[in-house]
Amino acid sequence: MSGMREQSPQSWPVIGRSSLVVRIALLAALIALAIAPQPAHAYAGPGAGFAVLSSFWAIFVAFLYSFYALATWPIRQLFRFVRRRNAYGKAKFSRAVILGFDGMDPELAERFMNEGKLPNLAKLREKGTFTKLRTTFPAISPVAWSTFMTGVNPGKHNIYDFLARDTSNYLPFLSSAEIKGPKRHIKIGKYSIPFGKTEIKAMRKGTPFWHWLGKAGIFSSVIRVPVTFPPEKFSGVLLSGMCVPDLKGSQGTFCLCTTRSSSDKFREGGVRVPMERRNGVCTSYIPGPDSPLAETAGNEMRVPFEVRPDAVAKQARIVVGSEKLTLKVGEYSEWIPVAFKAGLGFTAHGICRFYLKEVSPEVEVYVSPVNIDPGHPDLPISHPVTYSIYLAKLYGPFATLGLAEDTWALNEHVLDDEAFLTQCYSNHEDRERMLFDALDKTKQGLCTCVFDTTDRVQHMFWRYLDEDHPAAREVPRDQRPNVIPELYQRMDKLIGRVMEKIDDDTLLLVVSDHGFKSFARCVNLNAWLHQNGYLALQDGKTESGDWFDDVDWSRTRAYTMGLNGLYLNVKGREKQGIVDPADVEALKVELQQKLNGLQDPASGEIGITGVFITGSVYRGPYTENAPDLIVGYGAGYRASWDSVLGKVTGQVFEDNMKAWSGDHCIDPRLVPGVLFSSHKIVAEKPHIADVAPTILTLFGLAPPAHFDGKAWSLAAQES
Amino acid sequence: MPALLAVKLFLLTSPLAIVVVLSIVIGLLMVVLFGYTSNQKAIGIAKDQLKAHLLAVRLFQDQLHVVMGSYGRILRGTGRYLRLAFMPLLYVIIPITLLIVQLDRYLGATPMTPDAPFLLTVKVSNSETLNDLSLDLPAEIMMTAPAVHIPADNEAVWRLSASKSGVYEVKVIASGHSVTKVVRVSPELSRVSPVRLRGHFWERMLYSAEPALPNDSPVESIAVNYPERAIDIAGYEMNWIWLFFILSMVAGFIFKELLGIKV
Repeated sequence: MSGMREQSPQSWPVIGRSSLVVRIALLAALIALAIAPQPAHAYAGPGAGFAVLSSFWAIFVAFLYSFYALATWPIRQLFRFVRRRNAYGKAKFSRAVILGFDGMDPELAERFMNEGKLPNLAKLREKGTFTKLRTTFPAISPVAWSTFMTGVNPGKHNIYDFLARDTSNYLPFLSSAEIKGPKRHIKIGKYSIPFGKTEIKAMRKGTPFWHWLGKAGIFSSVIRVPVTFPPEKFSGVLLSGMCVPDLKGSQGTFCLCTTRSSSDKFREGGVRVPMERRNGVCTSYIPGPDSPLAETAGNEMRVPFEVRPDAVAKQARIVVGSEKLTLKVGEYSEWIPVAFKAGLGFTAHGICRFYLKEVSPEVEVYVSPVNIDPGHPDLPISHPVTYSIYLAKLYGPFATLGLAEDTWALNEHVLDDEAFLTQCYSNHEDRERMLFDALDKTKQGLCTCVFDTTDRVQHMFWRYLDEDHPAAREVPRDQRPNVIPELYQRMDKLIGRVMEKIDDDTLLLVVSDHGFKSFARCVNLNAWLHQNGYLALQDGKTESGDWFDDVDWSRTRAYTMGLNGLYLNVKGREKQGIVDPADVEALKVELQQKLNGLQDPASGEIGITGVFITGSVYRGPYTENAPDLIVGYGAGYRASWDSVLGKVTGQVFEDNMKAWSGDHCIDPRLVPGVLFSSHKIVAEKPHIADVAPTILTLFGLAPPAHFDGKAWSLAAQES
Repeated sequence: MPALLAVKLFLLTSPLAIVVVLSIVIGLLMVVLFGYTSNQKAIGIAKDQLKAHLLAVRLFQDQLHVVMGSYGRILRGTGRYLRLAFMPLLYVIIPITLLIVQLDRYLGATPMTPDAPFLLTVKVSNSETLNDLSLDLPAEIMMTAPAVHIPADNEAVWRLSASKSGVYEVKVIASGHSVTKVVRVSPELSRVSPVRLRGHFWERMLYSAEPALPNDSPVESIAVNYPERAIDIAGYEMNWIWLFFILSMVAGFIFKELLGIKV
């Protein structure tokens, strides 16, 4: 009887082996019955298996994590206590919350507060502090926020503008970070396979104050503070902000896919991609980064997509990869994942949004710059790298590009006012969600978040606030939208919700990096330098191309590029320099004297109210990388669009006809930022550099000696 | 051509090959069906939220309130995810259950082999009937031991043996009523029915491959103890259902990735 089974004692006897199958099926069913409200009867294929396994896995991992966190918490606390003493022992607050509103203007804030439009800011003014906050030279966001976080002047953090110039070729490069592909490649057939990591070098120097907090055992949540790319390690979490590139490596390149034939190129920030229509279906593509496997640059990867327009319903169905979406004219899609495949398994992961502009007679689709996918980041955009993944999983994909609001698309009339605002506020809502999550997670320590919406919206809609802006002269005054007052009211409501979340043991600071003024008139400083004999063009030329094309460097003593910097063509420094180092100081003074008070012949107003020799405003080891002079434009004026791009034109002054109608890249004395505080603070002429030492001091830490900022103190009754 | 024939023959007769092919096909079908019948967006969100809360535990491990809060959210999220994942299973549960039952007829047990003894167990309605119970065996099947009566269970057990391969009907005569039970003797893969039952609709659906016994018959069930089939995987023997479970999961995992279906 070997191999024979024992008789089963059940009511019908021989079920033994079959019962194994039944038991397995029943086991799956029982698990289902125990957890799901519907009866499940058997193992129903891999779906059930995955569901059960995934769930158990999630719970198991969570349990392990939690157990580890709980079990080791006392040990870690003890370790911290021994190593760093009691981190909060000398702190005046258990938490500091800093809300950064890029470009919030103190004069507008005061005006709207007095009009009763900003009750929460008014409450802060009444209960705590409201004052102007002096900004950096120049008053540009990457410069000012770098000073905010490091507590030092630009001579010590090395950021003077968005762009810096390469003295070997007079071309610009991004001042905040340098991204280099892997050095080694192996050639196999048509592929050149990269080996090693992409190298990302931070150009901003100095140490953000949250590093000092972390060293003392104080946790920080830092969200979208500009010039935090690449993210640096510290004790806390950080999501990088302004200066994070898009997937192409640019600071934002939108794409207009259109059936309308045009050979026009966008001046900046975007490309036009033809759309082919065949049998009612339009096909186009999203331009991506260059292939990492190509031997030469310019081998652009692309993601094709098709559009099926429905002129009657005024909508279109868009198919990109496995994603299918239907958009009405004037509607944005959600963030859509796109994968640029180079072959051999190399894929760049991005996200973008589609905006349907038109379906008849022509078909036009705007595609936002392809952002680095926060849920699958190909470049580090957060610290730890899992923080952006965490946020993406929690709230869905979000804009990661530094300058996420597509101002160029509005400038080029690819987006209209409404579409641009929709984009801005969509990004803003994502940021708000991140802030409130950080507030929930950071009950002790530092929580700081910078909102860019204030800057972008003021840049693009100042024309409606100005009495007589050239870009809005055709819009009757009574038809101008109240975009900027509404913007401030929206931020005020946000501040109100934050105030509800905090108690008296939390310090709330509301800061901006600079204020705002109208940008109605452009100043082409290169044109002025040309007309006054400091810059020479090739013989026969009256204008140059972008980036000094046709400039005769052998006869040029000074040039400008970027927003406020003026450079001398110094022998031994610039590749084709002609100014003797011994004559540099004299030339600086000469230019300062001639440019200071430069008058606009059309109106008689002063176009330049201050020219600053950088040696007198900067101190630090990186001063030599600074421009030689910083030009402070008067209110209503700014460097012209051409001048910024290193172009010499015939006219020095001209109207600014673009939607980009407000600006702050002027005389820094005219555009201070704001400082609101929930507690009364004592400070004489507070400066943005003071924030870092103030926070360290309030947490009981001594600011490092190299800080330029001075810590504010609390008013007597507060302390 | 002979190689092709050999492959075909292998596929038709090898239980391992059958389980592998079936697992892949069913893995694919189930994943596709799951994709069509589930709320893919909601499942995606539920899974993402779960991952987020797991990451939160790691990212904010020094903040005990975050760790404990996240743990609670993970438990709630798991419940939500399971609810979403099991909804579409209702659509596939009947066909897949029936399919597994049918496959089990072929793969769960091996038919008897010639000259190997086996047990035939007859359960009757009452113990008196045991005294009026006999077998009528075909010529190829012989009784190798006298019947053993177990009055406490109303059962009688015979030890039998078949002299050669074939499909035989063993006749059971109880109180003048006769009923039959198929006995399959074969070295090849074939459909077997381990039990014939009276009534018990669901049990018959799940465990029997023969028509029901007549309601007026005193016989409740006739069972043959076919040997359990074990499939050899690299020297490790396992029941086909485990192999099917593992392989269909692997296939499902591959197909869900290829097809972009969230499970």
